Amino acid sequence: MSRIDVALDYPMLARVLRDPSELSRLSAEEFSRTIDAADAARLLGWLLERCRERNLPLNPPRWLADRLVTADARARGYERALRWEINRLQRAFLGTGLTWILMKGAGYVAANLPPGNGRRVADIDIMVAERDLSRVEQLLNEHGWEIPEMHPYDTRYYREWMHELPAMVHRDRRSVLDVHHGILPKTSRLKPSPERLLAHSIVVNGLRVFCPAHMILQGAAHLFHDGDVAGAIRDLVDLDQLFREFGRDERFWPELVAETEALDLRRPAYYAVRYARLEFGTPVPAEPLRAIERWAPPSVVRYSMDSMVRRSIAASRRTAPVAAFGLWVRMHWGKMPALHLVRHLTRKSLMGGGRYH
Amino acid sequence: MRSLEPLSQLDTAGVQLSIGPFRVRLRSDIVGVRTYLETVYTDFPITSETAAHFDIAIVSTAGWRQWMRPQANLVVNGVRPFLPLPEDLSGALFEWSLNWCVGDHAHRWVAIHAAVVERDGQAVVLSGVSGAGKSTLCAALVVAGWRLLSDEFALVDPQSGLLSPLPRPVSLKNQSISILKQRNPSGVFTPERIDIEGATFVHMKPPLASVRQAGEPARPGMIVFPRWTRDAATRLEPIPKAYALMRLAHQSFNYNYLGVRGYEAIAGMVGRTDCYTLEYSDLDDVIGRLASARTR
Repeated sequence: MSRIDVALDYPMLARVLRDPSELSRLSAEEFSRTIDAADAARLLGWLLERCRERNLPLNPPRWLADRLVTADARARGYERALRWEINRLQRAFLGTGLTWILMKGAGYVAANLPPGNGRRVADIDIMVAERDLSRVEQLLNEHGWEIPEMHPYDTRYYREWMHELPAMVHRDRRSVLDVHHGILPKTSRLKPSPERLLAHSIVVNGLRVFCPAHMILQGAAHLFHDGDVAGAIRDLVDLDQLFREFGRDERFWPELVAETEALDLRRPAYYAVRYARLEFGTPVPAEPLRAIERWAPPSVVRYSMDSMVRRSIAASRRTAPVAAFGLWVRMHWGKMPALHLVRHLTRKSLMGGGRYH
Repeated sequence: MRSLEPLSQLDTAGVQLSIGPFRVRLRSDIVGVRTYLETVYTDFPITSETAAHFDIAIVSTAGWRQWMRPQANLVVNGVRPFLPLPEDLSGALFEWSLNWCVGDHAHRWVAIHAAVVERDGQAVVLSGVSGAGKSTLCAALVVAGWRLLSDEFALVDPQSGLLSPLPRPVSLKNQSISILKQRNPSGVFTPERIDIEGATFVHMKPPLASVRQAGEPARPGMIVFPRWTRDAATRLEPIPKAYALMRLAHQSFNYNYLGVRGYEAIAGMVGRTDCYTLEYSDLDDVIGRLASARTR
């Protein structure tokens, strides 16, 4: 594309993410590009919150002030749309006696946690008990959520190997809902107990979410064991914010250590703490940190993980996909037994479709 | 005419156009984009600055495709809102990308799908679905001497309740093209093209006076929902305000982003104006009726 560079300025966003005080040093045009990159990375709510805290930008030119009004309206619009979907789910489940848990972004919004601010999600995730799955699917059908027709292979992939139903789409609003019955696929080597996740879940503002330790562990498992790499920066920012928020209660860290062991998620938890500290300087008390450090992988694995994570988080658009691909293979390796993985990747490559899916 | 000299850097650092309240950065390596600007944007301020509300790039596809079937790719603030289009639509693609920007990225205002014209300090908002004839009516009013605020957007400023002008080239389709060429024999029109829905369209250069007044907001005086009907006698009928409010909210691009602010801005405007439906077939007749209804 000739001499015209249209790439988003992710390196600038990464600098601001590492050190929000950078914001005060940005020119108006750099500020503007950071808004674009943050919106694309679904971190607009985070950026605006940092701007509010610091009362920045100072005396913006009119065009930038307009852009900030727009950004604020967009972030509030995202969150409003998400709250409305949560409200529709509440209505669907009303009086059924079924237990359902809001996961990830929807959970952060429901519990009014910092990462819920101006939250933009592609889809809403909920978790139910596996035994309730068919009842829930039917109930959601009755309220307008439907599973679009798909290739029989994909249907089997979901039903046999995955920890969720195929994505459901609401027939009027076109919103997407993922119904999980665990936080990792059935075929994964790690098998965190769904029963324990359900039993420890808590009700906040009338909505059920994971307990703090499980919220962290779900995020860590998703980021460092599951497949969603595109949102890697955002997921790590979420974890950092949650660590800081939950860490204000001194009971949190010991509980996180205990629950990590109970759910057998030592490796993802180790990575979550390691990269949140490395990238964002997340404060962790000494005693739990010593326990967490014991879950480190062999140093060869750690080095390759370090370099992949660093590149996929901070790198420009041109080099990020390489690192992302490495992470993706690693995650699938953990998610599926080797033979399944080879079969799945072969099948997917023959069927065509997306670059990494 | 202003200096078009900055256009020489269109394919490198780009240019900044001032269009209504917006600073638009545009970069393009497609010669059709430059030709388009040189045809209908000659009265607009064009500088070599890079600051912008919207950073628009219209770039040709690299590689062999460039020779087989030239395409124009749109990138706005780093994202690609549309699929590529044939390169001969690249000028129009600039207008369509601006429409997308205003609808999706200009939330200081409530953006309503409507044409707005003004005379003697009172703006008339013409709101209607595509095909209802609002653009034709708007263009005819402008050629008859009314000020053009926009043929596409009513931009309501929630703070002042005023309408911000966004004068741009006026889009004309199918039969409207010859009607307006007849009414505006000295006007400047872009060459005819076929859009992706198979309609023939051109853009008409906006009047210099309207472009010069782009910084002067207008007070809404009348809201009209026009509908062109073959051989119909002109009928301008008052409608309930609640009905007008519902229709305008439905025609608003960013109502969902603005929430309560959007509702209050539209309700405020409807509360202060007279609202009508308009059925017409004779442009001269309806222009006269609107002029007298407005001064009533």
